[in-house]
Amino acid sequence: MIKVNHLKKSFGKNVVLKDINEEFNQGEVVVVIGPSGSGKSTFLRCLNLLEEPTDGEVVFEGTALTGLKEKDLNELRQKMGMVFQQFNLFPHKTAQENLTIAPVKSKGVSQASAERKAVDLLNQVGLGDKVAAYPASLSGGQQQRVAIARALAMDPDVMLFDEPTSALDPEMVGEVLKVMKDLAQSGMTMVVVTHEMGFAREVADRVLFMDDGYIVEQGTPEHIFTQPTHERTQDFLAKVL
Amino acid sequence: MKKSVYVVLTLLLVLTGLFIPSEEVAAEDGAALKRVQDEGVLVVGTSADFPPFEFYAEVDGERQVVGMDMMIAQKIADDLGVDLEIQDIGFDSLLPALEARNVDIVIAGMTPTAERRKSVDFSEIYFKTFQNIMIRAEDKDVYTSIESLKGLPIGVQSGSLQEGLAEQIEDAELMSLTSLSDLLLALKTNRIEAMVMQGPNAEAHAGNDEDLFTFVGEFEMEDDDAGSAVAFRQGEDSLVTAVNESLAEIAEQNLTDDYLVVAGEYMVQSETDEDGEEVETGFASDYWQYFWDGTKITLLISAVSVFFGLILGAILALMRLSKTALFRFFATAYIEFVRGTPMLIQVMFIYFASGMFFNLPALTAGIIAVSLNSGAYIAEIIRSGLNSVDKGQEEAARSLGMGKNDALRHIIFPQALKNIWPALGNEFITIIKESSIVSVIGVGELIFQTRVVRSISFQGILPLFITMMVYFVLTFSLTKLLNFYEGRMNHD
Repeated sequence: MIKVNHLKKSFGKNVVLKDINEEFNQGEVVVVIGPSGSGKSTFLRCLNLLEEPTDGEVVFEGTALTGLKEKDLNELRQKMGMVFQQFNLFPHKTAQENLTIAPVKSKGVSQASAERKAVDLLNQVGLGDKVAAYPASLSGGQQQRVAIARALAMDPDVMLFDEPTSALDPEMVGEVLKVMKDLAQSGMTMVVVTHEMGFAREVADRVLFMDDGYIVEQGTPEHIFTQPTHERTQDFLAKVL
Repeated sequence: MKKSVYVVLTLLLVLTGLFIPSEEVAAEDGAALKRVQDEGVLVVGTSADFPPFEFYAEVDGERQVVGMDMMIAQKIADDLGVDLEIQDIGFDSLLPALEARNVDIVIAGMTPTAERRKSVDFSEIYFKTFQNIMIRAEDKDVYTSIESLKGLPIGVQSGSLQEGLAEQIEDAELMSLTSLSDLLLALKTNRIEAMVMQGPNAEAHAGNDEDLFTFVGEFEMEDDDAGSAVAFRQGEDSLVTAVNESLAEIAEQNLTDDYLVVAGEYMVQSETDEDGEEVETGFASDYWQYFWDGTKITLLISAVSVFFGLILGAILALMRLSKTALFRFFATAYIEFVRGTPMLIQVMFIYFASGMFFNLPALTAGIIAVSLNSGAYIAEIIRSGLNSVDKGQEEAARSLGMGKNDALRHIIFPQALKNIWPALGNEFITIIKESSIVSVIGVGELIFQTRVVRSISFQGILPLFITMMVYFVLTFSLTKLLNFYEGRMNHD
């Protein structure tokens, strides 16, 4: 579904991604782990071109995103939902409006059907009673669940999660992970950057370990968490587990 | 930064090149006269705060500029077979307006001094006059001659003949103001001890105000300085000749005497309603129409300028944030230039410079100037607002597949607007107040009308107080309105 060839990214002189080759398949749940500054988030943001790669290409459903025209890129992005660390809900819109604005304005969905779908999705993430609430009145966990529902409102083929629980108070992490787990079980293709090793072990089909701009090691959760072969993977896991 | 300095300088050079008047010395063969007759209207510039020569009065329920000069203007227009249009402009701005072709001729009790002859031509003198000293009535036994005013503060209208004459008063400290009403107020409030005023004008004021007293000053004057004449652009000899014919007829039949009698009746008329006891009520009922008209124009200028200023400001802000260097460049140069020059000059520049090419009404010129000016300030406010919205908002919108424009319009801009609302409100209030600057080109807004009321009512302070209150009511209501909408935007 997504194929990454020789992806490189630098910010000025700082080379963040050195040479990434990877493929994500339909229905797969891939969790990306690694120390801070290893390039995990940059890698994820390159997948939908929020960051413009310095070199290499990203191919999504057969189309190279790199070098696409603005309009075509927008259309493909509609199929790639993204969830941010800081939620990034639109504060001037209610939960429901957060879910309807993009489908109505960019996809041409009718207002009425977008609204119905928004209610369904909010119910699905357990926020059926917050349809008319503004983001400022919601807790962090609730906001992040609205953000997930907002991405789902576009009917994406893949969901990208950029450290979705890192900005949450500990007691709210569970509710967000639960929604993500349900989503994985429904067959959604997901790429998740996270520090939640429990989630990786339980839900992931495959775990990527990144360090210093490379994917150092990858495999099933069992392999990575019980018998990592690479020294840097062992070091990292020893610190976080 | 260096680059933009260069651009601004280039821009300046180009602009000045455009607007330097090309000398028209060549013999004109009646072109000027033909132009006026072809257009069918003679546009006369004057400064209507100079009774009995030019001032406002009610004629058949309508306010008009009347007075001796205006009757002369009517006679000239009739003789030329054209309609008369009068434009009331500040005395200082009359000759620039003439040179910039905003008006055809100037009739404003203007004396043809040698200084003025350098830039414009004059007709024959149509009215010989004398010069007076104006003092407070209580001082009439103290100040009896020019000599008795030695070393005292003396008021004169700036750019006037009297300004030169006042230098004949030994060691006088001159106070030059544009408006005679302000000078009279300065006299009554003891800021100055005396004024030098044109004779009949001084008598008109003293006759209507028991606190004032006037007498003829024995100034030494050149022959040229002794009267009023009509001013023309240089080289329009055919028009000068035609006007001189009309003036000769006026002199022959002694029409100025008749004109002055009629003008005197208008001045009395504007006083009839006043009875000493109820000055306040009389004042309000006499002049509320002036304040109301001025308020309407002020609101019109402000509303239209806010509207266009917002559009222009949004465009400039987007240009400054654009990826195209040329756009950034132009917007930055424009903003820096407009913010770095006084609005007063901008207003005069647009009005007078445009007059060289086509006839732009003063109100339109004023609105354009205020819009162009506020656009630059609003652009900076909007830019800061767009920058104040968290980067994650745009990313979220783009990640949902929204295009740049949709993201800007539905996500970024509404949030920016909320953040800059107080600053925008401040700018709107500034526009209401600063729009008064267009009074210098004769737009009848609130400050302009206040000047008119002060000159015809012979009241110095009360009109100022009323105007202050009107402005306060306007700005305070706007503040309340803006606060209401701010509350509606607040979802925190």
